[in-house]
Amino acid sequence: MKNHKFSIYTITGFNKNNLQLLRLLIQQALTLRYKRSVFGIGWTLLNPMLTSFILWIVFSFLFAGKLQTGQQFAPYLMAGVLLNTFFQMGLLQSANSVSGNRNILTKVAVPPKIFAFAAALASFANFLIGLIPLTIIVYISGQGLELTFPIVFIIGLLLALFVAGIGLTLSILFIRFEDTTNVVNALLLMLSALTPIFYPISILSKPVKFIVTLNPLTSFLDLFRWSFSNNAIATWKDFAYISIISIGTFVFGSFFFKKHWSKTIAML
Amino acid sequence: MNIIEIKNLSFFYRVLNNNHGSLKELFRDFLRGKLSIENYMAISNISFTVKKGQTVAIIGKNGAGKSTLLKILARVMQPTSGSIFINGSIAPMIELGAGFNTELTGRENILFYSSLIGRDINEVKPRIPKIADWAGVTDHLDYQLRTYSTGMVARLAFSVATDQVPNLLLIDEILSVGDEEFAIKSKNRMKQIHESGCTMILVSHDLDAVNEMADEVIWLDKGTIKMIGSSSEVISAYKASGN
Repeated sequence: MKNHKFSIYTITGFNKNNLQLLRLLIQQALTLRYKRSVFGIGWTLLNPMLTSFILWIVFSFLFAGKLQTGQQFAPYLMAGVLLNTFFQMGLLQSANSVSGNRNILTKVAVPPKIFAFAAALASFANFLIGLIPLTIIVYISGQGLELTFPIVFIIGLLLALFVAGIGLTLSILFIRFEDTTNVVNALLLMLSALTPIFYPISILSKPVKFIVTLNPLTSFLDLFRWSFSNNAIATWKDFAYISIISIGTFVFGSFFFKKHWSKTIAML
Repeated sequence: MNIIEIKNLSFFYRVLNNNHGSLKELFRDFLRGKLSIENYMAISNISFTVKKGQTVAIIGKNGAGKSTLLKILARVMQPTSGSIFINGSIAPMIELGAGFNTELTGRENILFYSSLIGRDINEVKPRIPKIADWAGVTDHLDYQLRTYSTGMVARLAFSVATDQVPNLLLIDEILSVGDEEFAIKSKNRMKQIHESGCTMILVSHDLDAVNEMADEVIWLDKGTIKMIGSSSEVISAYKASGN
């Protein structure tokens, strides 16, 4: 039936049924989050705005003047909040998705990777919805959307790969050792402190700045802010860096998962 | 025609000597040199074949390896050694409604569960009314599953699982769900499936049900086959052994 060598099936290693299942899982995650909550989808739009608003009250008088000319603090902050939520929520949900679906995985032969993917992609979808309030903030603060705006989708997909890669690795560790959850939570807190979510990189001292620029999330964030409303400086180096990191992490995660899954499932 | 061929199948759990639930404990025991790996043998060297259309029951005490064997047949776990050959599509009915989510509607759950057990959801969509009708939940199809009664959930799960007849049906202790009316209804459906030429493997503690349904019984004991043969023969031997 399939004559072409490169179909979506051969690339992902999933068959048609697996992709249908993936779609259903993403739909499920979104339905559960929005449709059934009191505020519905309005909450998704409101939530990042409220979080950003509070951070804006606290930090705007400290940092607003430290940004480069032409850059605005409100969209800078909100872009940071959105991307960080995408990363942290996607990561935790992806890492917990395999053990959370243990009653399915120990009974039905489905590729367990699907659950980790679905969590990462659902978080991506959530991020895309969050771009709507961000657009509003961009225009309120006197900026406009840039023509480079579609690059955001590529950045988002790369971040989803990054998230799924770490998620796959952690999902094995979470099942094997319960206390990895605590370690990971502490590491995530440190990581978000080392990500320029609400502070400009320019205020940092040299050694801290060095660490922060090494953080791949910094590159993700710079690229996102730059492509969306030209609110940061990003170069092709950032792009190369996140591409390598994301694909590398994803390949490692898939490999690690494949290697350890057959023994881990016996522990579920 | 053989639909299942199993040769010298073994399954080992590799366990560390102490139960390490955390990295801390693992690290502590590693430092003290107390770490060793033990093999726990769940199934050792099993061989059997199942012909098309046969119903085979697996009996045995708790911990005899019944569920492990069923999981290997369901392709959830890979055997440590030995070969396994299954010809055709497999539908697991291991714990009905394992994939159900109480926050989703009946309709959404039908689609999700069908997709989980490997069906094409485009083929399932037009069959939803039929599935719901058999389970008697047509009026509740667009309500969340948490508003359903236990019986309704069980009926719906059974209805979805048996909607399309697979080549091989794996069943784990599910024949006793719901009220009497449903028990009769489901038994009839199982009979229909059986008559349509579907091969069934069932794991059960209910010896009367096994006697009634199975053509052949496999008695597992401590991971090995103690006896294999016609159901009346094996069941009487099993009963005589004091179980």
